[in-house]
Amino acid sequence: MKKYLVLPLVLVMAIVASCTKKQVTNEKVLNVSVPQKVKGMDPIFASDRYSNNEVAKIYEGLLEYHYLKRPYTLVPNLAQDLPKVSDDGLTYTFTIRQGVFFHNDAAFTGGTGRELVAEDFVYSLKRLADPKLQGLGWWLIDGKIMGLNEWREKYANADKVSYDEKIEGIQALDKYTLQFKLTKPFPQFLYALAMPFTFAVAKEVVEHYGPEFINHPVGTGPFVLPKFEQTNRIVYTKNPTFRKKTFPCEASEEFKAEGLTADCGKQLPLLDKIVVEILIEDQPRWLNFLKGNIDYVGVPKDNFSSAIPDSKNLSEDLKKNGVGLLISPSLDVTYTAFNHDLDLFKNVKLRRALSLAYDVSQSNKLFYNDTALPAQSVVPPGIAGYMESYKNPYRSYGEAENIEKAKKLLAEAGYPDGKGLPEITYDCPAGTVSRQVGEFFKKQMEQIGVNTKVVQNSWPELQNKINKRSVMMYGIAWGADYPDAENFLQLLYGPNKAPGANGSGYNNPEFNSLFVKAAIMQDSPERTALYEKLNRIAAEEVPWIYGVHRQSFVLKHAWLKNYIATDFDAGQEQFLNIDVEKKAELSKKL
Amino acid sequence: MNTWTYIARRTLYVIPVILGVCFLIFVLFNVFSPDPAMIMLGKHATAKQMAELRAELGLDKPFFIQYLDIVKASFTFDFGRSWSTKQEIFQMIKQGAIPSLTVTLPGFLLSTLISIAISLLVAFYRGKMIDKAVVFFCVAGMSISSLAYILFGQWFFAYKLGWFEISGYEEGFPYFIPYIILPVIIWVILSIGPDVRFFRTIILDEVYQDYVRTARSKGLGENHIMFKHVLKNAMVSIITYVIIQLPFLILGALLLESFFSIPGLGAMTLNAINSSDFPVIRAMTVLSAVAYIIFSILTDVLYTVVDPRVRLH
Repeated sequence: MKKYLVLPLVLVMAIVASCTKKQVTNEKVLNVSVPQKVKGMDPIFASDRYSNNEVAKIYEGLLEYHYLKRPYTLVPNLAQDLPKVSDDGLTYTFTIRQGVFFHNDAAFTGGTGRELVAEDFVYSLKRLADPKLQGLGWWLIDGKIMGLNEWREKYANADKVSYDEKIEGIQALDKYTLQFKLTKPFPQFLYALAMPFTFAVAKEVVEHYGPEFINHPVGTGPFVLPKFEQTNRIVYTKNPTFRKKTFPCEASEEFKAEGLTADCGKQLPLLDKIVVEILIEDQPRWLNFLKGNIDYVGVPKDNFSSAIPDSKNLSEDLKKNGVGLLISPSLDVTYTAFNHDLDLFKNVKLRRALSLAYDVSQSNKLFYNDTALPAQSVVPPGIAGYMESYKNPYRSYGEAENIEKAKKLLAEAGYPDGKGLPEITYDCPAGTVSRQVGEFFKKQMEQIGVNTKVVQNSWPELQNKINKRSVMMYGIAWGADYPDAENFLQLLYGPNKAPGANGSGYNNPEFNSLFVKAAIMQDSPERTALYEKLNRIAAEEVPWIYGVHRQSFVLKHAWLKNYIATDFDAGQEQFLNIDVEKKAELSKKL
Repeated sequence: MNTWTYIARRTLYVIPVILGVCFLIFVLFNVFSPDPAMIMLGKHATAKQMAELRAELGLDKPFFIQYLDIVKASFTFDFGRSWSTKQEIFQMIKQGAIPSLTVTLPGFLLSTLISIAISLLVAFYRGKMIDKAVVFFCVAGMSISSLAYILFGQWFFAYKLGWFEISGYEEGFPYFIPYIILPVIIWVILSIGPDVRFFRTIILDEVYQDYVRTARSKGLGENHIMFKHVLKNAMVSIITYVIIQLPFLILGALLLESFFSIPGLGAMTLNAINSSDFPVIRAMTVLSAVAYIIFSILTDVLYTVVDPRVRLH
């Protein structure tokens, strides 16, 4: 008889299990999804955007971006104020905020988190430089802090690294005073201090957990996570001992107009809990959003036309359910790079001809639903160095005369109607859209008699080929690490040649010398003028065929408050709020 | 040969197999796999840092030493930590195996039982309308991509009708049950087509044997013939087919895990391949090889139970 009971029993348990889950609470819970596995909770390994965001819920840095100000503005976070910078631009002195405590954890004496001090930053920066750990953010401070590279090299082949050794460039002058000395002026250094790689960790926690530290995040941040596990759900709760930090009252006009200062002065974080679901595929992410299980979502490509039929406004169905649309430009650029190691592409007329043959308007329509901004050069809008009214003379929008110009340039380059040109390979990542982009490129080149072959690669294969210089042309994109044109212009700086960031290997002495000059200047009209000059060279020399600057399309439910689309979203959750009553009311409709 | 002697002898085969597997993955990794240092460092890789990271990962050691390290790790099952996530691989496998098995095991058992039942039925009615209809639906079902079943099932049954969870997973019994019902149903639907065709062929092979004719001429009932004689004789092939699949269940179901957000080993392995995470790839390959050998020994031993005429050599 027993066997007949098993199936009904399992069904009953299933129903019970699913019912218990749907309990409605008054807790302010943010439900979000990320499209890839989170690598772990150690700041020095948080190299991808998603791991970065998770780390920033727990840990904090000296600086952060003002949540409601554009252009992006750095403000103090664990620092009391912005640093005092010496006249030569080499010494940065910070006062650490007092009364900031690490989360309670067994690693501390008595299990109670201790106060953050300047020495914690010295330790954390040394960890990032530790040759035994090989932190993935080392590039950020490599060669920039006095004595740090020497320290790293000294211990590269040693059995153990000594953290007690003093380094001239990072010192705690007293309990709350921290000083950095740079090897050369590097104004972008401050951006590094707002990135999770440099966030503060406590030495005793690292030593207590050893290699398992990556699974035991203990920071000073607004949320706590007792243990990280490599599952598909991460649940953070509000840090009960979080210091006094309030929602900003100042804001850019655009945000004030949207009423985003309504929570002005309220203690952060505003949420009780965050549930992060790892949803790799688009469909479950989209369906979960429609059901109200996720509070905001980037619109998947396959759902774009049904959600935003005219590429600007939301569909009526979604509006009816209280869904909102946020469109914001991303700090990025897509491009097709030439391999400048090849003699073929040292011919600027050939590069210009190929650029003129490429119809960026059509590409925008086909691959970005006509929502992106055609790129004129390397620097995207929203940062100094971008030239609003500048039009690249070697850019085509499908005009017939540009094809004629391209053919003329091709002939002048020595290849009339493409004769004498070898077949050009176009390498791109795997995936349907990349293949379509490649086929579109091939078709564009055929218009002027240039034969191309599209080769798809897995992402690592493509990177490998670029580094080994075994590509001719390849399609790729770059997203900003920080909001400064230097981060884009360095992609064309000769000494950064692959395996550095300059994958195309473009090397122009004039560009290089101007870049070196601009890169060490503090933000000023002179620096902006230099950035613009570099941007203009990058346009007219056509080291790449420029693509577009993309825009992000995010949908959010009406119950989610204070959400804004940003390129630097690490730590954003502390400012978000949930209207629990509205959620209960609107959820019934979904 | 005594069964235990046979098992001991076959177990010893594990040694050359693991040595071979290690050699194969070592060669494949070094010849075809992209540089893991480059993947880990991403867009900010410099030649110097890549060299440092390669040294730290032990990739600058002579090939022979690297191979010996792999062999040692494989025999001690001490797979170390993932290069990509820095997690202990043993823990990763432990954490991923249960979610994978909660989907694949019930799916596999149900699909096998249902397929055998259907195969017996259609073999009984061989050549008749029901047989033709089942074969037609099996072929039609197999012609549709597995992705289509997943996308439609998730959209229609989970989203539109709201009968199941769209995705997700909760650890512990019975909390995971609501999350695995739909993936299990889809697994069963996906498996029935090929399984029924395979089992039907095996059973039909038996149905036309002389002993079945003899049984009929003795006046035995059809049910008795099908269950007592045909099924029993078909069991050797069925057991081979079933048991050889068991070790792969632990590896999970890649697409189902990915679409239903089940934190299993399928997704973990794919992730490791994409990020050239060699220690994880090595661990999964070696464990699969060992599991394959163990289950093939088990299959051989089970033959002797099912058919006493079988002798182990």
